[in-house]
Amino acid sequence: MAKELTTQSYIDHHLTNLTCGKTPEGWSCNPYDVEQMGFWAFHVDSLFWSVFLGALFILIFKMAMPRSVSADTTPSGLQNFVEMSIEFVEDNVQSLFGSVKNKLIAPLALTVFVWILLMNLMDLIPVDFIPVLAGHLAFFFVGGPEHAWINSPESFYFKVVPTTDPNITLGMALAVFVLTIYYSIRVKGLKAFVAELTLHPFGKYLIPVNFILEMVNFIAKPISLGLRLFGNLYAGEMIFILIALMLFFSSIPIGTLGFGLHLVWALFHILIVALQAFIFMALTIAYLAMAHETEEH
Amino acid sequence: MNINATLLAQAVVMIVFVAICWKYVYPPILAVMQEREKKISDGLEAAKKADDSLEEAKLAFDKEMDQAKAEAAEILEKANARASQIVGDASSKAEAEAEKIMTSASKTIENDTNKAKEELREQMSEIIIDTTQKILGDEISPEKHDAILKKAAEEL
Repeated sequence: MAKELTTQSYIDHHLTNLTCGKTPEGWSCNPYDVEQMGFWAFHVDSLFWSVFLGALFILIFKMAMPRSVSADTTPSGLQNFVEMSIEFVEDNVQSLFGSVKNKLIAPLALTVFVWILLMNLMDLIPVDFIPVLAGHLAFFFVGGPEHAWINSPESFYFKVVPTTDPNITLGMALAVFVLTIYYSIRVKGLKAFVAELTLHPFGKYLIPVNFILEMVNFIAKPISLGLRLFGNLYAGEMIFILIALMLFFSSIPIGTLGFGLHLVWALFHILIVALQAFIFMALTIAYLAMAHETEEH
Repeated sequence: MNINATLLAQAVVMIVFVAICWKYVYPPILAVMQEREKKISDGLEAAKKADDSLEEAKLAFDKEMDQAKAEAAEILEKANARASQIVGDASSKAEAEAEKIMTSASKTIENDTNKAKEELREQMSEIIIDTTQKILGDEISPEKHDAILKKAAEEL
């Protein structure tokens, strides 16, 4: 049964993920079971958009360069866009990474940049379009009174912007973190890597203190990387939701003001969308560059 | 903010996408771009070379042209000299010829005059003798007074 629409429920609805996970009674997508799922739950909506947009990225970049393209064909259209992106990434890698040759960095930076940009751009789609559409589709195909989680189109949770989900941003930061550790060990050797974490800044007699200090420094990087992106996009999304509330719950003057605000905020948000994607990419490159630094500091 | 297994799933998804991009997407695009860059820089270099050789060819052409002009001027001068020489020769020859013709013509005239004078002289003496004979009768015969007559004729 549909809940009565209130400001509180509207906001809650927009901030809740479609969560599926394992409960003692088996797999379930019921939001009332989320407590029981514990850690082994998945935000299906976030993951769906994340995979969909990642695939879109691969597809666009693959399509722009069919096999028939060679150095002799004049680039046009999509190919120009793709080459521009790659040039942009190459420039950034060059300036942050310098002379170190690592063939993975540039593709990694490109993937991170374009993928996050696409995910952030989902924020510019008006907040209710996709959730309402998805709700009706889901209700039509699988819903019914017997499923508590989808007994009406409105009861279906569907969050659209993956980067407003901390799991997504921290997941990406985690992947970068793992790569950082991998390259640190590969380039410097395990001994030097451990030494870096334990012998600074106070020398070998205060190893535990050193380790704690360095560990905080070490762990702070991926966490800040993930939370920065999440925070910016979550706040942006939140403001879009609040502006949308002006349209739905208020009188005509306030609604009109809401339209204006929505336009202004969307325009401003384009900047945040691109900027946060760029920052994530730049920091990814910088952290991996640090992993390649062999000199003592 | 609830952290759950989505985080791990996203990390795995990311590694998969990065791997796909790294293996299949990025290298072919970069290869095409780098190849094109090389082609363009080669092309520019070739154009520069062509420019240089064009300059060289122009210089060589100018040099050759100057030489040809000088040669042509020389030939022209020679031809002019030769022509005036020919004309000079011809006119002097013609003059000489004219002179010759004039000389021979005046000689002929002189000869004719002399002849005519001689004839006249002879006829005159005959007429005189005839006339004298008629006047004097037979007293004077040409045979007897031949010497006198001859002398008279010479004096005429």
